[in-house]
Amino acid sequence: MDKMEPLLKVAHMCKSFGITKALQDVSFSLRRGQILGLIGENGSGKSTATSIIASLQQADSGKMFLEGEPYEPKNSVEAISNGVCMILQEKGTFDLLTVAKNVFVGKEEMFVKHGFLDNREMVKEAQKALDVIHAGHIRAEARLSSLNFEDRKLVEVARAIYSNPRILVVDETTTALSRNGRDILYGIMRKMKKEGKSVIFISHDLDEIMEVCDTVTILRDGIYIDTLEKSDFHPPTLRKLMVGREVADNYYRADMESCKNKEVVFRMKNIFCKDVKDVSFELHKGEILGFGGLGDCGMHILGNVAFGLTEPDLGQVEAGDGTVIRNPTVAMKKKIAYISKNRDQETLMVSCSIKDNICLASYDKIAKGPFIFRKDENAFIDAHSKDLEIKMQDTNQYIMELSGGNKQKVALAKWLGFGADIFILDCPTRGIDIGVKANIYQLMMELRKQGKSIIMISEELSEVIGMSDRVIILKEGKISGAFKREEELTELMLIEYMV
Amino acid sequence: MSFLKKSNINFRTIFPFLGLIIIVTLFAILTKGKLFSLVSLRSIMNDGIYVLLGTIGFTFLFAMGCMDFSIGYNMGVSCAVACVVANTFHIYAAIPAAILTGLCIGIVNGIVVTKTRIMPMIATMGMMFILQGGVLIILNGSVLQAPLSMTGMYTNPLKIFLIIIFIIGGYVLFEMTVFGRVAKAIGACPEAVRQTGINADKYKVIAYVIMGAIAGLLGFISLARTGSATNSTGVTLMFNVMNAALLGGVPMTGGPTTKFRGAVLGALTISFLSSGMTILRMSAQNQQLVKGIIFLAAIGICFDRKNMKVIK
Repeated sequence: MDKMEPLLKVAHMCKSFGITKALQDVSFSLRRGQILGLIGENGSGKSTATSIIASLQQADSGKMFLEGEPYEPKNSVEAISNGVCMILQEKGTFDLLTVAKNVFVGKEEMFVKHGFLDNREMVKEAQKALDVIHAGHIRAEARLSSLNFEDRKLVEVARAIYSNPRILVVDETTTALSRNGRDILYGIMRKMKKEGKSVIFISHDLDEIMEVCDTVTILRDGIYIDTLEKSDFHPPTLRKLMVGREVADNYYRADMESCKNKEVVFRMKNIFCKDVKDVSFELHKGEILGFGGLGDCGMHILGNVAFGLTEPDLGQVEAGDGTVIRNPTVAMKKKIAYISKNRDQETLMVSCSIKDNICLASYDKIAKGPFIFRKDENAFIDAHSKDLEIKMQDTNQYIMELSGGNKQKVALAKWLGFGADIFILDCPTRGIDIGVKANIYQLMMELRKQGKSIIMISEELSEVIGMSDRVIILKEGKISGAFKREEELTELMLIEYMV
Repeated sequence: MSFLKKSNINFRTIFPFLGLIIIVTLFAILTKGKLFSLVSLRSIMNDGIYVLLGTIGFTFLFAMGCMDFSIGYNMGVSCAVACVVANTFHIYAAIPAAILTGLCIGIVNGIVVTKTRIMPMIATMGMMFILQGGVLIILNGSVLQAPLSMTGMYTNPLKIFLIIIFIIGGYVLFEMTVFGRVAKAIGACPEAVRQTGINADKYKVIAYVIMGAIAGLLGFISLARTGSATNSTGVTLMFNVMNAALLGGVPMTGGPTTKFRGAVLGALTISFLSSGMTILRMSAQNQQLVKGIIFLAAIGICFDRKNMKVIK
């Protein structure tokens, strides 16, 4: 076989979700023994591209070739049998099963004897698989829910490696890992490289990419931009290619001063709830308070609790005047607004019009007595959605036809129209393209200037650092660190507190 | 894609009109015009008022994605209670008695659905079984006669008045008030409504109370029209109302595509269908059969399976 033939070739891949074009005519290839970094901003299509390669979803058009042969897997099982394996960004494990069962999920028949599952044999094999990746500290018979987030990720790694893949896709796994966990993963990647196998590596951390990868391919807004070899790695160049322009200073907040106002508008006192343990904090007027941590550190539940959606087991949520926030109705009386991380399921009615969604929170204001008139609704919308420049045909358009960024704008318009003073924003820029992202940051700064307060919960450390007056890092439900806004704050520093 | 979507919306909008026109024309031809005689128009109004009022009440529940299976027997119980009250006190006392009975049953339905979080379909089905027994207990057998003077209460002007009031009032409440907007929002996404600080449970209870009160009123109408309460009073109401709502293109899942005109159009369609078949001397069993087939066909045509995956 021709040695120069790429292991995997992706040609003219396209994929859209509704009107959002996630990938447009993307082509790249992967050599044997290559570690290929895939970089780009959020929503640039990295995860979409790799999940198509691992066949978690199907491309709309385009071809893939594995060792020159057409590669058209119908589902992830076929992908794995072709030697393509992916470690997901999101959690891909089953909490209620044991580690061993997680490692061999879908392959249980290997251990079936006379129609019964041989658990002992399965545990033994699973332990071997864990030892191979130097994660022997995890016991195969343990229940997965007893492990911390990092170890759960390693279980996933063990599962992927056990199938002996030719191509391993690592999708932003490292943000969940400590130095030790990262070293384990880097070790595996280098070993694969030595064996002539290949890795596709996605990460937000440019330093990491430059350290580990041989080549990087840059995507932007679903379009292939460029591919650079190791010798050309140069942070400013990479960043410029990712964002498409010199990274402007006003992308995040430019100022380095933190909020001086001491007036408390919102506080939590010793909150215990599910994964949250003893969290207390105060929010000041005109402050952006950022919460960072791993996906399951409890910060998302904290947002729920803050808005009164989930009742805490212990402790109290209070508005500035001491009113206890028991439910969303009380929260809204105190002018608190909340946008969920799961915007499409929880914040917006996607099957309804833009108009219905924006007005929903403010019928008290719009209605005359019990009656609602069209013209009052339209006037209300005009007053509150114009500034946001939502891209739409008209306000009767359905939410499900909008792109992620525009959906988020509708969600914001709903609460701006309501006249909220405190905004709880859970992952406000999740799945949103750069242009709209900048708009949303701009809006947050504007709100801050008007003396409104914002609690921003985010899994993206860069935006937490870039936007917050104060940063609180959660780890396993507890506050592990709190930082004032200052120049020296870096992602690496905060990661130490996260894991 | 956008063309498909557009044509889809258009079809769903015209479907109720189309259904009504087809049914009316079909039976006008089959009955050789007898469908429009004064006698049959009067009988259409007499039968249709149950379906129309019932469907109008049901639309609010449908919009929220809720159900009430107990309306038929609610009507039966209300009718029986009204009959007892008319016999023991005064015939005019039967009106509040019937409406209050229905309303109370509605309150219980609403509270059970919202507090216990049992699926509306199951909870109200339970209520249906309870009421089924309740009718028999109140009637102490099968039939209870009301005072003869009662039949004089139910005049044509009253019927027409009720129909007009319900259509106008229902339209205003459904399309032009906060209650109507929130009802549709609950059907579209209950979690979003909760996360907007709206007490959805309150609105659900109100909708069940409205439905219950209407069922009670229908119980009184039935008593005044027939002069008696029987254990079969109202048994066909539930089925006819469901059928009317579906023929009117009211989506079972609720949400923003619920239109008030659908309820009215569907009720008219069912009324013409029933009367047309009666004029053609079809037996009750065969009528039931035809309605059953139409019921399934209406679900098949109207049910928006494509969007289901996206929405829920």
